[in-house]
Amino acid sequence: MSNLENYVAAFTSTFLVDESVLAKLKYQDIAAWDSVGHMSLMAKLEETFGIEMDIDDIIEFSSFEVGRAILAKYNVNMA
Amino acid sequence: MAEAKKLPVMDIGSIIKHQRNRYPVLLIDKIVDLVPGERATGVKCFTYNEWYFPGHFDDEPNVPGFVQIESLVQTFILTFLCKQEYAGMKTNFVSINNIRFKKKIVPGDVLRIEATLKNFKRGIAIGSAESFVDGEPACSAEFVVAVPDILDQFKPKP
Repeated sequence: MSNLENYVAAFTSTFLVDESVLAKLKYQDIAAWDSVGHMSLMAKLEETFGIEMDIDDIIEFSSFEVGRAILAKYNVNMA
Repeated sequence: MAEAKKLPVMDIGSIIKHQRNRYPVLLIDKIVDLVPGERATGVKCFTYNEWYFPGHFDDEPNVPGFVQIESLVQTFILTFLCKQEYAGMKTNFVSINNIRFKKKIVPGDVLRIEATLKNFKRGIAIGSAESFVDGEPACSAEFVVAVPDILDQFKPKP
């Protein structure tokens, strides 16, 4: 799987949402993406990509799109 | 020569100080073994004076399943709430999995609970606990528990 496919899978498996809603998905847009869901997503991404995210990046990670840019800092590119 | 009586690692006063459950839902009496961040062993003594026995059941008193689960998780959360930086924080269930009830627990039984913390990161604790009466397995479960005060430190900005 590509990085983008893994990234999408992390969201869909954590929040049980359809891929079609991800592009505009933001924190707290859905009930599943609350503070607990956020930590579950961060853990899933760290496990998937073998990284450990900084606290500032976890706080900045406010949407599907913003997350793509943040992961690029960890050499997880999804061009 | 009789074996010296082992003192609890945490008595009821210390338990009250480190976690937020109170009567009638404080369901452990002492912690007898503790490795902070790794494991805890708790003890709960059941007497007929427990508030739930008259209702569960009047003709056959035994400990309800939810009480057993609460006893397990209250031991489990002390694996990390025993640390000074987390002491007194509230916790919430995220999930409970693979619950097994193996023995009816009745007035007079003493429950020994062995809890293990597998992972604690950014306010999410993952682990398990199992309990025993007279060495016989009584109940076991796996837990994911959240600490909201810690989670709040990692929430995205609005």
